[in-house]
Amino acid sequence: MHIRIQRGSSVPISRQIDAQVRAQILSGVLRAEDQLPSVRQLARELAVNVNTVFRVYERLAADGLIELRHGDGTYVAPRRKGAAGAQLARRRREFGAELDALVRRALMLGVAAEELPRWLAESLERVQREIPPAETSPGDSPKRERAEQDTPSAGTRR
Amino acid sequence: MNTAAIVVENLSVGYGRGRGSGGRSFGDRGASTVLDGLSLTIPAGQTFALLGRNGAGKTTLIRTLLGLLEPAAGRVEVLGVNPTTQPLVVRSRIGYLAEDQSMYPGMTADELAAFLAPFYPTWDAALARDLFQQFGVPTGVRIKQLSKGHTVRLGLALALAHRPELVILDDPAMGLDPITRKQFNRDVVEHLQAEGRTVFYSSHLLYEVEAVADAVAILDGGRLVRVGTTEAVQNDVKRVLVSGDVLLAGPKPEKLLDVTRRGDRLAVTLDGAPAWIERLDAAEADYAVEDLSLDEIFEAFVIGQTELWPDRSAGVTAVVK
Repeated sequence: MHIRIQRGSSVPISRQIDAQVRAQILSGVLRAEDQLPSVRQLARELAVNVNTVFRVYERLAADGLIELRHGDGTYVAPRRKGAAGAQLARRRREFGAELDALVRRALMLGVAAEELPRWLAESLERVQREIPPAETSPGDSPKRERAEQDTPSAGTRR
Repeated sequence: MNTAAIVVENLSVGYGRGRGSGGRSFGDRGASTVLDGLSLTIPAGQTFALLGRNGAGKTTLIRTLLGLLEPAAGRVEVLGVNPTTQPLVVRSRIGYLAEDQSMYPGMTADELAAFLAPFYPTWDAALARDLFQQFGVPTGVRIKQLSKGHTVRLGLALALAHRPELVILDDPAMGLDPITRKQFNRDVVEHLQAEGRTVFYSSHLLYEVEAVADAVAILDGGRLVRVGTTEAVQNDVKRVLVSGDVLLAGPKPEKLLDVTRRGDRLAVTLDGAPAWIERLDAAEADYAVEDLSLDEIFEAFVIGQTELWPDRSAGVTAVVK
């Protein structure tokens, strides 16, 4: 599981972790029965408060995305037909609204409308260079063959 | 039921001048008052960060918790014990990492551990060795030859070797490079939080604190100006962009922190933002909300200016355009 935390951001750390795990599950990067790192492991890895990670996991479990199996570990929950799809659609709508806000800001900063596609292309290039290609590919269906790039604990039960 | 690790009530501390009482505080609270009417409760098991600029009173509060300074007024309780009357009991149950690591420079880590052990009834020599190893502290080298990062981690290992219930760290990340800081934070997360210990630490590096702390307190000029979980604080403190007319129409928010001009609108930073935003909604006002980083929130509390809030008598024209 690949998660990046931006310190000093206006987005609270818990929301950053929540959004990234959620996105990876909803988009199929993480699949049903994949094991997630334990709360302690992830807290240590990210150097983030243990309770923060715990609260994120609890919230994801309450939303039916992951299962905290006592004494066994944390796993991606089997997909409930429709539910995950609806959530993904909602998340994408939210993303659309966020993009609108960003575009509005760009126009406010005097970025010309015709310049916007170039900004987007450059951002996409930067993002793709940073994150391994198997984890991006927006809009594409979950892959059958996955690159072995997860944290050591993830996917041990494959 | 007592689940609070630290209780502070109406605490005032001042430094006395002269009168031969050397550093002691006394009833006279004049210009020497450093802490002024502080109240704070820290539940056991929490990681609590005290934020403040240099001279805000962070170290004074810590020294009072350790029983090194006497309150001029108010009450302090650490692990259920009064540090002023029973400083040794308190100090035997807490681990303390001072701001400046002044350890015997000629000793090695092993020698220092052996030297400290008899002072603590619960000292665990095997744990000390374990921690040295886990923190990567060289044990056979004189302390004066250790790097700053190693020295701080040695300090942390020594502060933990008697298995304290509460650990107090005074600006531990000061002077560390970003990678060492991250390692240090990892140590805190792994060895303290995961074991359910209470951690009280002061810092001025807000972006570090945000990731590690459960809750924060902002100390400014000897007073606590805000206490809360990092998430709650970020949820309650927002910057709202609105026109001056809108502000004139409604009452001034109770916890207004900062007002600056942004184009033909005003950027209003306030605590308790959700309720105020609801009112803007009810009035169908046009506005935009900005989330703030902990850094920006800290700044608003500590150096925020509210003079630009439009005054009815001054009229709108003074504000818009």
